Amino acid sequence: MLPSVERDGRHGLWWPALVALPDVYGRVVGVTVLGVGGHAVTVEASVGRGLPSLTVTGLPGAAVQDARDRIRPAMEQAGLEWPLRRVVVNLAPGNLRKEGAGLDLPIAVSVLVATAQVPARSVPGFTFFGELSLKGEVLPTPGVISVAIAAARRGSSGVVVPAANAVEAAQVAGLRVVGVGTLQDVVGFLRGSWTAPDVQPVEPEQRPDAAADLAEVRGQEQARRALEVAAAGEHNLLMVGSPGAGKTMLARRLPTILPDMTHDEALEATQLHSVAGLLAGRGVLRQRPFRAPHHSVSTAGLLGGGSTVLRPGEASLAHRGVLFLDELTEFRRDAIEALRQPLEDGRIVVTRTSGSVEFPARFTLVAAANPCPCGFAGDIRKACRCREDQEARYRQKLSGPLLDRIDLRLTVPRLTKDELLGASGAEPSAVVRDRVVAARERQRHRYRRLGITCNAHLPGPLARRETRLSAGAEELLARAVDTMALTGRGFDRIVKVARTVADLEAMGDVAAGHVAEALSFRTAFEQDDGLARAG
Amino acid sequence: MPDSRAPLPHGFPDGFGEGPREADAVLVLRCLLGITPRDLFALIWRVGGASAACTAILQGSAGSDHDRAFLAGADPGAIRDRIGAAGARFAAPGDPEYWPAFLRLADPPVGIFVRGQPLADGHDRVALVGSRRPTPTGREVATHLARGLAAAGVVVVSGGAVGIDAAAHRGALDAGGSTVAVLGSGIDVDYPPSNGRLLRAVEQGGTIVGEYAPGVPAEPFRFPARNRLIAALSRGIVVVQGASRSGTRITAEHALELGLDVFAVPGSVTDPLAETPLDMIREGATMIRDADDLLLDLGIDPQRATDPDALPGLPAAQRSLLEALAAPMLPDAVARAAGVPVSDAISALVELELRGLVRGVGGRYERTFRAAPQRGSS
Repeated sequence: MLPSVERDGRHGLWWPALVALPDVYGRVVGVTVLGVGGHAVTVEASVGRGLPSLTVTGLPGAAVQDARDRIRPAMEQAGLEWPLRRVVVNLAPGNLRKEGAGLDLPIAVSVLVATAQVPARSVPGFTFFGELSLKGEVLPTPGVISVAIAAARRGSSGVVVPAANAVEAAQVAGLRVVGVGTLQDVVGFLRGSWTAPDVQPVEPEQRPDAAADLAEVRGQEQARRALEVAAAGEHNLLMVGSPGAGKTMLARRLPTILPDMTHDEALEATQLHSVAGLLAGRGVLRQRPFRAPHHSVSTAGLLGGGSTVLRPGEASLAHRGVLFLDELTEFRRDAIEALRQPLEDGRIVVTRTSGSVEFPARFTLVAAANPCPCGFAGDIRKACRCREDQEARYRQKLSGPLLDRIDLRLTVPRLTKDELLGASGAEPSAVVRDRVVAARERQRHRYRRLGITCNAHLPGPLARRETRLSAGAEELLARAVDTMALTGRGFDRIVKVARTVADLEAMGDVAAGHVAEALSFRTAFEQDDGLARAG
Repeated sequence: MPDSRAPLPHGFPDGFGEGPREADAVLVLRCLLGITPRDLFALIWRVGGASAACTAILQGSAGSDHDRAFLAGADPGAIRDRIGAAGARFAAPGDPEYWPAFLRLADPPVGIFVRGQPLADGHDRVALVGSRRPTPTGREVATHLARGLAAAGVVVVSGGAVGIDAAAHRGALDAGGSTVAVLGSGIDVDYPPSNGRLLRAVEQGGTIVGEYAPGVPAEPFRFPARNRLIAALSRGIVVVQGASRSGTRITAEHALELGLDVFAVPGSVTDPLAETPLDMIREGATMIRDADDLLLDLGIDPQRATDPDALPGLPAAQRSLLEALAAPMLPDAVARAAGVPVSDAISALVELELRGLVRGVGGRYERTFRAAPQRGSS
């Protein structure tokens, strides 16, 4: 509710009086995190005549309103004085909705400045952020890296943030990071009687735990190859196979052959994890994220949302990494449909009554599904027990707009013991990764004028124009169109994948062999369709 | 009451179905769903005619309550209208379209429903039967056999269902031949519905027959009765793929009872779908590998049935890979067997796939029927 002041008509008397009393006015800079971005907020406090109260104006959200009741006990527990007068805190700009408990600290400091408990000249240049406990502790708060980025952009020379999150803030170059554990620390720092310990740099994480390496995948040559092609061209991948074929095991190894993230990519990914409160003391993500949400996930859980604070969803947490959807047919239809936006644009816009926010979400999609409801169609050891209509319904579920955005479709067989034992030694992830890095470099160079970086993002018409095919490749493609009943989109997919295969071999032109390999990445469904149409 | 299991003569009693009243009675009797064909046949012999059988059922000495309710309100005129609206005809014993072949059965139908072309007589008819869920290879074999039979002027009989049935009808029609589909549902009911297009084609180029009146839904328990009609219509029967205890098995047993020539396409001993064909071979069925074998055993000149698509001239790399491909194999296993790099093997396999000589199944590759080992003969 709005303060009673404005109702009883004394408002007009107040304001000139305030201007005349600079000692009861304080101003500091805080940050509110909306979606993934931090927005600087000027926090003003004025302490004047009236019954003891704290009023917050300037579109405070629910969590900010809560601060009114948290801050006074926090300050008193910290041995500081809460003015027994009327306190008004204003958050500017007034048209921006403020969310999150991270404004606790700047509000408290603005009151400390207004009541001259800390010197006003100590505050400029710093940005404050952190949630307070009733005991005056500064609690770990999500989104600190976004705060630091916003502070740096605004020209702050330093940030005062929860000690637990100091490492995150330290990832942003050129900022002095003051990690504080309690409100007393903050006061001590501003009075010059306390110095924050240096931020301990966190060891950069090693490559994904040594447990996962492509070298451990026995047999499954074609699946290994499909992972390499997916990594090299950023193609999305669908794996169709019986339970126990190793689809999840394969998917988990895709991040191990992706190129290392650049610093900017790492910061983007870190920001999303920080906002979601999932960073847990790590400084910056070095590994590409691998997210595998359960198929019961809600649309909001997958794409981002929430009723008060908008949180990034699994698709955004997989930004710059891999989103793995096991049992694709079990996911909610609307959630799957909604994935089209990030797959097209690399971002998700979540709109609620409180406004809309944008989360980046550029990931490689890896989906897995059984070949039929019972899971054993095409298996050589176990007979499929599905009725024809069940199978048709299942295929219906698998098809659809999402499938159009998946270039690589692969059937993963359940291997027999002999096939496993007969398999030759496999290459480790590091060797494959080197080829992937080289292939990506070639694509970046080729498409530098088109504003894209990889074959998968090449629009269809451009794919046909930009890809030089050898005569043999042309001829093979023409035959494939006839025999396999390729659609226009199917044709474009084959061309793009063939281009990636050629890039992996450092070839300028796409040869027949590359097209043939691209044609081998098709699922049983498509083959059946071809058969039905041919027959 | 006389013993209903006493052996009955073949055919129907004299005067059965003669005269308008008897004809109406036959039609109404054939619309009953409760009494079995065997009981009905026995009843007719006991009471001597169709009208008398109706009276007996109404009096409660045979049939079900449902039959009595139906008979009490039956209007032969309305039933005939319904049959006409469905584009079908009804034939009773003695009618030209009631094929004498049915009378071979111990429980002949009292009448049948027909759609499409009148059955061309003077042709050999051979039934192709098998699983509703065959493998791609089984489907190919059925199509190939049907083409061979059709090209030699043999009419292909099958069950109008999916799987081997559909492949057989389609193969016969593709080769410009004729085919008979024997339905286990109402004469105007497509089952499964997805088979509608195929059945329209059969109606154009062949005949659809069935024992059930328009509108009778497809129910699993009606299919075994349908299978005896398939056997009755045919001179020989070919079992392509079928699990044990399947409908295929039932049809094959009817064929043995009727003394038909029984042929079976063998499969691997580990393949569940090869169980019925292998059982039949053990019991004396003739093993056949392709249409040439079949036609030879039927005493028809197989020259006319050669498949125009013989193995085309293959590049050496593809030929050696095809030779290395035995059972369903992983691409890397094929590469090892042929001694070439995996990427070359995949290229060659895709080329072979485009030629229709191999296919991918569940992530492995196998030969198609067209790439079956070539025999020197014929």
